[in-house]
Order: sequence, then structure tokens, then C-alpha cells
Amino acid sequence: MKCTLSWLRNYIECDLPTAKLVQGLVMAGLEVDSCQELFEYLNDSVRIVRIKSVRPHPQADRLVLCDVDAGGERVLRIVCGAPNARPGLLTVLALPGTSLPNGVIIKQSKIRGEISEGMLCSEKDLGISENNAGIIDLPDSYAVGEPLVDALDLHDTLLEVDITPNRPDCASVIGIAREIAGFAGKKLRVPVAQNLPALTGQNLPFSVAVDSAACPRYSARLLNDVTIAPSPWWLKKILLAVGLRPINNVVDITNFVMLEFGQPLHAFDFDRLAGAGIIVRQARPLEKINTLDGVARQLDPEMLVICDHEKPVAVAGIMGGSSSEVTASTKRILLESAYFDPVSIRRTVRKLNMSTDSSYRFERGVDPEGIPKALERAVQLIVELTGAKLVDDGIDLIQGLPEKKVIKLRVQRVSDLLGINISAEEIERLLLGIEIIARQIDELTFEVVPPTFRVDLEREIDLIEEIARLKGYNELPSTLPVTPMSFPENCPVRSLRDKIAATMVALGFYEAINYSFVSDHNVDLLGLAVQDKRRQQLRLKNPLAEDQNVMRTTLLPALLENVRRNINHQTSDLQLFEVGKVFLPQGGELPEEDERLTVVMCGRRYPGAPVLHYSANAVVDIHDIRGVVETILLQQACAGVIFDTDSVDEQLGEAGESVVLRANGRMLGGYGLVARNILKNFGIKQDVYFIDLSISLLSLIPPEPKTFRPLSRYPSVTWDVALVVPEAIKCGELLQAVHEAKEVLFEKVELFDIYQGNNIDKGTKSVALSITYRSADHTLEDDEVEITHKKIINLLISRFQGKLREV
Amino acid sequence: MEEELLRLQSEAKTELSTIIRPDELESFRVKYLGRKCTLTMLMRKLGEVSAQDRPRLGNLANSIKKEIEADFLEKEMALTQLQATGKGESRKDLTLPGRVIPFGRRHPVSQVMLEICRIFEGLGFAVAEGSDVETDYYNFEALNIPKHHPARDMHDTFYFDESVLLRTHTSPMQIRAMEKQEPPLRIIAPGKVYRCDSDITHTPMFHQVEGFLVDRHVSFADLKGVLSIFIAKMFDSNVAIRFRPSFFPFTEPSAEVDIACVICDGKGCRVCKQTGWIEILGAGLIDPEVFRMVGYDSEKFSGFAFGIGAERIAMLKYGINDIRLYYENDMRFLSQF
Repeated sequence: MKCTLSWLRNYIECDLPTAKLVQGLVMAGLEVDSCQELFEYLNDSVRIVRIKSVRPHPQADRLVLCDVDAGGERVLRIVCGAPNARPGLLTVLALPGTSLPNGVIIKQSKIRGEISEGMLCSEKDLGISENNAGIIDLPDSYAVGEPLVDALDLHDTLLEVDITPNRPDCASVIGIAREIAGFAGKKLRVPVAQNLPALTGQNLPFSVAVDSAACPRYSARLLNDVTIAPSPWWLKKILLAVGLRPINNVVDITNFVMLEFGQPLHAFDFDRLAGAGIIVRQARPLEKINTLDGVARQLDPEMLVICDHEKPVAVAGIMGGSSSEVTASTKRILLESAYFDPVSIRRTVRKLNMSTDSSYRFERGVDPEGIPKALERAVQLIVELTGAKLVDDGIDLIQGLPEKKVIKLRVQRVSDLLGINISAEEIERLLLGIEIIARQIDELTFEVVPPTFRVDLEREIDLIEEIARLKGYNELPSTLPVTPMSFPENCPVRSLRDKIAATMVALGFYEAINYSFVSDHNVDLLGLAVQDKRRQQLRLKNPLAEDQNVMRTTLLPALLENVRRNINHQTSDLQLFEVGKVFLPQGGELPEEDERLTVVMCGRRYPGAPVLHYSANAVVDIHDIRGVVETILLQQACAGVIFDTDSVDEQLGEAGESVVLRANGRMLGGYGLVARNILKNFGIKQDVYFIDLSISLLSLIPPEPKTFRPLSRYPSVTWDVALVVPEAIKCGELLQAVHEAKEVLFEKVELFDIYQGNNIDKGTKSVALSITYRSADHTLEDDEVEITHKKIINLLISRFQGKLREV
Repeated sequence: MEEELLRLQSEAKTELSTIIRPDELESFRVKYLGRKCTLTMLMRKLGEVSAQDRPRLGNLANSIKKEIEADFLEKEMALTQLQATGKGESRKDLTLPGRVIPFGRRHPVSQVMLEICRIFEGLGFAVAEGSDVETDYYNFEALNIPKHHPARDMHDTFYFDESVLLRTHTSPMQIRAMEKQEPPLRIIAPGKVYRCDSDITHTPMFHQVEGFLVDRHVSFADLKGVLSIFIAKMFDSNVAIRFRPSFFPFTEPSAEVDIACVICDGKGCRVCKQTGWIEILGAGLIDPEVFRMVGYDSEKFSGFAFGIGAERIAMLKYGINDIRLYYENDMRFLSQF
């Protein structure tokens, strides 16, 4: 809602400085979006002048030379290109030194060889309106030589106030003035006749019938002998300031009164209404209307329309039709002021996808009692400005208006909810400040009938909010609640997510956050199989962009996109992770939301660490990514996770370089090298390793309990062994076999070398292990170590078709 | 013997004077002062000289040993000093970068979310997380935003169908939590929220922390108290705060909370649109209608709720000027926080 300070001052005597006024509005809940001085750039150098004579420009056909009287002793010579420059015209001159809103600074200059001592201006040149048809044409009532800002009273301050949906009463200048009256302690002056005429509907040359519950009040009056003309300057100025385009006196008046009272009005050209009457009804199937914006609209029976005796002439409360539009030749006006059901208006707005200043107010609720006031105000102005003759009576049909509520307000309840001690007197006084009358029925209770313009006041709590607002939120005390202690339970997925994220950070990974919606094309780029459940994507009905049209079913594509983006910005050593949800439709109303960890890793092993100390050539490989997996599982003490190295279930990984992780028979996820065809699809030319794990599933695996094992006081012994085994043997299985032998003296095993080449038969490899033994109760003797060591070696030899490597 | 002692003395002196490196000094120490050094060997032989010469030679040997020791210590000190002043030959280049094992970082929005949660957990709030895909009922209806209410204009909503949508705020968790348990309750609900809106100050996905407390006798003053603590901990204990009236369908009275602009210190700048204030959260007493929807008696219980946007707080804390940077995951951005 925009309004100027001078407009506000028509209704309230308020001498508060602008800053204080703005602060008062903000603290009353009317957020001021902007507060802007108008026409600051126009000063005394822009004057009203009269053109004395006009001669052709000797060098240019389209230009003329004007002798101009600017009120000084000397006549000024101005070169002008406007079509309407003529002798005797009262217009506006910008003298050298003026800076125009478009940034041009006027200078004395030569135009095609002729001196010009300034510039004659159009309204657009001066930022007054968009009108650029010619130089300003002023009526003779202005004095030559007077600065334009004074003559037109241009200096003003424009406020833009943000109106919350509950306060349609403030979508009007009077409404805002009322709030100012409330906090500034001033009286509000409303410009309508004290005694509104009773409209009986008798002996009228027109009829109105209402045939819908969506129109509980409809008032109309007829005006004859209207002269349609441009509005006077004061009216144009107000409309221009708040961003409305002046059209003609009648339309401008309806717009002005809408902004003034918050009550939208509509003027019909009465002679173009078939049957000289109005019928308010629901639209019929297949009915159509051409609205004022030049669009043909398809109507349906859910929509309320205003009709003449043949056809719809307006979409009720939203926009008029062009068939009865007020034009220059209009002689008689039927003026409508009505109350339309907010929900009905809102539905129609949605369906037709057209929102107007009028619908904005109706769908939030106008003041049922403001209808005749706004009508009278507009009638008054039309009579005054157009010379129209008012037909004596009018119509005011009322049926089924919202009932007036009586609200009980308890003083104690106010104190309890606001945490203050407030007296009945103070409550009464505060409410009265904004025209809410509270009638005390006993010492501690009021009865309040809210004013009809406050459609938001329905319950006790609504009044309590008013009291808090009027008292000032910052005047209320600040205390702490007294709530019994309790131990908050944390949700397991959240704890696990934060623990894993902490581990990832410690391992050198940066957290990425990507949008939850992605392109449905991603699953194709990943080359997922037809039956892969990640292909079942939840589709948005109204995505912002085509590349955000489904909910993600995997975090990997966005992370690959991040990799590509960073590579494009010359960062190719990357370690990123994301913890977030994927969305998997599961038949019910809501999808399964699976919390996942996805990791990508590429380039140098320690990005960001000095190359001096770490080789620049050491790039990550499959063992790095496995190390990360192992660290996560170790940190969570998750035993029982199986590394399935032969599975092809993880389609994201390159065959033979990816591993599936399982636990309790379910697939937790996987890790490995991102399949090269996927990398190609994402435009990445270097190897990228990934992990993709379900945190939700991982959180279901109970961590192994931590139990203390006594520390042996005796020294350990470490013996090495080198075994030659077939090439295909997996070292992980070898190590596992050592563990699973469960020898009492066994402490740990370390694989320290794998060798193929000289002295080793083709098709075999040498695996060197370092096995540590220790006893809990004595220092080990060589011969007992030898027994155990041999047992282990023999086990390995027989299980893995190995032999001892000869030195 | 005497000759040998004197020769040793002069040899030691000469050798010591040529020493410039710590390792040379150490071999000097072993050679002249060590357990098996020549001097010790000579002194062991003192028993073999005549009784008449023994005291004199003994004294001589002792004084030579003391002298060498003193010279050695002096040299050692000199060398240490030389090292410290950088004139030594083998000085390490201490300006080289350290052998860092790099660590990563959480996303700045996560950091802020964790910080918000930490503050409220300190006040005894439990953390609960809900689903991102919600029903119209939990996101709107139960929060007193019926189908054709203009307040729906405040939320540009992503829909999947008539009744399923992406939550536009974390407030649905109020309903889900209250349906499950009786007061008192004290909960925060962090999470992602979505609105179809995208420009320099809006991303279609952002992060919010919803908080609410329900008990007997909870007042607007309590809301002010709790939020004042939050702001003091999140920003600075001296930052000015103001509460101003606003509108949310699920709270009444409703408030928006501003802090003095952290960029210009409240003097007025581009960030605060010359007002000196920056809005950081919305709050209010829970509307009785919301209590009715979950079957709470609003005569018996009252409560407050608030919603905090993490992106905005991170922007203020770090001076980030373009919200879209958050979700591009450029390393040059992520490594700054």
C-alpha cells in the first residue's frame, strides 16, 4: 500500500517528523518498506513559462525556435522539437543546471547552430508521469516564472507500507491514518457526510437484483449528465505518486476512493447496460466476458458476475468488462459499491489468474458498513468534478452480511498471556485509541463489539494482540519460562549424521549442500537400470525450472555437478561430502525419506596441503576411498558390515572397482570409482571415487559395546612371514583368516608387502605379513611362538594354495 | 705425564676453537670429557706416579679438566646463540609451511544450524526432525491456514498433488509433536524448507529452525526472554533487539524480531535498507486454534513458537552478499568458513 504524507495529513493532524512517523507505523505492525522523498531533483531552475513566438529552425525541419517568457527581464531563446509548441502555450522550462531524472544535466548549448537556453519539458522528462506526447500544457491559472514544484505542490514523501493479510482495513489511507491516530493520540477526520442518505430503491430508472449468497450487500446510485474529462491536477498528482495511471475523472475518482476508504467501486456506462438493470449472480456454464484489460475470459458457475439483462458486464470484485466501460462519450454513470464473499473472490482470482487492487481488498474482507460511505464519497466527488446530476434515490440491498460478534475480554487473561499487570482502565483506553469500544460488564470483564472494518477481530486473543501492539511490544517485560526439567531425547539419525559429518571433516572433506530437487534426467545420466528404484522419482507439479523437476533419489549427480563446476574453476583436487535425504515413493501418501551420506574424492591425496611435503603426483585411488569407509565404520563401532567385492548391485561404480556394503541382509550402499561412462556424461575427465551410504540404515545397527581388555604387562614378539600364493587370492581374505584362527597368543597382523616379479613364479604373488604375538601372563619363549606361528602359516598355506617364499 | 697433560690442554684448546657445528662439539665432548676420554685415562694413571709428584699432577689434571669443561660450556653457549641468530651453517628454514594433514569444514549453513540447536539444547529443548515432503493438513490446515486464506500467498508452495507438498516452513513439526505428547514440551525442529521463489535474496530451498514451548502459564514475556538469550548467544550480548507486531496465522500475538544492523551498527546502510534494523526471526504465542486442532485446552495451556532462518543469520555473521552462493558448493566459498 502506497500513500503520500500529504495525503495522510488530509485525515489527521500529525506533526510528527517523518522518521518518528515511520517508526510508529513499524512498531504498530505496519512495516514501512520504503520512505522516499518525491521530486527532490526538481528545484527553482524548473519554471513555468509562456511561449511568446515560434519560428522554424533554419537547419532542421522537426525543430522550432521559441521565444519564451520566463518571468525575467529578457526573453529566452529555446530550441524545441515538441509537436505542441505554439505561441501562447503555458509550459515548463528547465534552465541550465537542472538535472533530470534520466540523468541528463541541462546546459546552454547550440542545437544545429542555434543557441538554446534551456529545455521545454514533457511530464515524462520531469518524472511526473509517463506522458511524453509533447511539452507540458498548463491551464492559464498558473503564474509565469513560478517554480514548478511550488506551482504543482510536488514536494512530498511517499510511503510504501507492507500490509499483513489480516489487516485489509489498512489497505486504505484512512486505515493507516487511523493507526497513526492511535499511537500519536490524535483525532481522525473522515471525509463523508455525517448523515448518509437512506437508499430505498423506489421509483428508480434502473433495477438491481442479487441472486447469489456471495454478494450480501450491493449498493448503487445513478448519475446523469456526466462530462468525462481529465482529472484536476490534485487528483492526478495523488494517483501518479502511488503509481496509478490517471484515465479520466470518473475512473480516477473510483480509484481514489478505493485507496482512500479501502472499498473498491465500479462505474458502469449506464447507457450501455442492456435492460437498464444489474443482476448479480453466478456465471453460467460457457459464459464469457471481455475484461477491461482486453482479455477474453472463460467463466464458470463458481464465479460471481455482475450482469445486465443480457450478459456479464463485470467479474464481480475483480475487473469490469469492456462492454460497459466508461468512455469519453459516457453521459450516465451507474456507480457500484458492494461486499463480495472473500472466499468466492479468491477462488475466482485463482482460476482466472488475475489479481487486481480491487480483488486484493475483497478477498481479505472489506468493511460492510463502509460500503455506503465510499459510495457517497465518490458520488460527491463526481458531482463536484464532472458536473453530474445525482438521481435522488439509490439501491442498497443487504442480505446475509457477516454477523457482528460480541467478544468477552478478561483482564486477567490479558495479564497472564502478556506477562504483565494491566488495569481495566488502561485496556479500555488503549482500545479506544483505534476506535474499539470495550464495555465493562464487571470489574474483570469487558464486552467488545469490534468495529466492522476490523474483520480480523473475532476472538479474545485477537483483542489481546491489539492490546500488546498498542502498549508496544518493547514495553512488555522479558522473563524466562519455568518449565520442569526433562531430558531431551535426540533422534538417532540426527546424532549419527552429525557424528559422521564430524568424521568426514576430520578426514579433510568439505560439506556440500545441494537442492533436494534435481532434473529427472539425472537417472539417465547415471545409466540406472530400468528396475532400479531410484528411477521412481517424485515429480513436482510446479517446478521453478526443468532441471529441478523431481525430488532426488541419489545425492551423487549434484555432487558430480559440484566437481565439474570446481574443475571449471581450476580446483580439481576435491574432497566433498553431503549428508541429506533422498525421496523414494513407497505407495503411501508420503515418500520414504532416506538420509544418506555421499562422498566424492578426486585429484591429489591431500588437497590444500603443501606439495613440498607431499608428492604432487600422489592421487587418490580405491584404497583411499576404502580408508574413509573403514574410518566411518570404525568410528561408529559398526561391526558386521560386509564388503561385497564381487557384487554388481552398485551401479554407480565402475565394474571391478566398486564394492557393495551390506549389513543384516540389506544393502547399506557402496563405494568405489564412479563408473567412467557416468563421469563422461557429467563432463568430468578425471577419476572420481565415491561413497554412498544410507545413514538411516546404518543407524539401525547397534554399535558394538565398548568393553575393556586388560593390558598385558609382558612384551610382544613380532615374526614376519612371506607367502607365495596364486595371484587371484584376495589379501583381505588372507588377513581375515589370520584373525579368524583365533590363536590365543595372536595380537595383530600387518600386511607390509605384496610383490610380483623376479624370483616369483608367473601367476603368483608374494605376500609378506608381520604377525605380533603376546601373552597376558608371561614373557613368550621362542618355541611357543613358533608353534603358533607355524599353525597360522600352515592354515594359510592349505587354505590359499600357498607356499613359503624361499629367500 | 705432565707433558702429556699440557699437550692435551693445548690440543683441546686448538680443537675447540675450530668447532662451528653442534655435532662437532658433541664429538669434542666425547673425546675430551667423555667417560673413556684421554684425560680420564691419564687421571687413572695418577696412581702410578711418585707420591711426591702425585698431588701436583692431580691438581694440574683437575684444573685442566675444569678449564676444558668451562671452555666447552662457553663454546656450547656461543654455538646456541649463533644458531639462534641465524648465523650457523645448518640452521633449519623455520619459515617453511608445516606438514599439514588437512581437515575439512561443515557448510556455513550447517555450522549456523548446529549453533542454533546448541543454544536451544542448552536451554533444555529437544531436537526433532520431520519430513520434507508434507501434507497440506500439517503444513497449512492444522496451522490455521485454511484452503482459501490469503495467508497462503505468503507461502509460494511446491506441490506434488492436491494434498502433498514440500513443507514451506518447519512449523508442521509443532503439530506432529503436539499430537504425540501432552505438555509440557520444549522442542526445536531444524530442517530444510522450500518455496518457489528464486532471486538474489531467495533460494527455492533454505533452512529453518522451528522452536516451541508449551506449558501452563507461558507468556509473551517468556518468549521475549528466551529469544533475547538466543540472540545474545548467537550474535553479541550487547546487540540491540526489537520486537514488532506482525502476522502469522498460527501465532497470536505475532512478532517479528529485529536486531540492530550488524553491518552498519544501526546507523543505516544498504543491507538494512537504511532502517538500522535487520529482521532475523518470526515468533508469537501459539494460536488457540492450533491448540484446538491437536486437542489441547487453550484455557489450561499456553505456549510460544518461533522460526529462525539459517541462511540469513549466516549472511549476517559472515557478510555473504549473494544467497545463491550457498548451493553452488564452490571450494573457494566452502573453504572460507
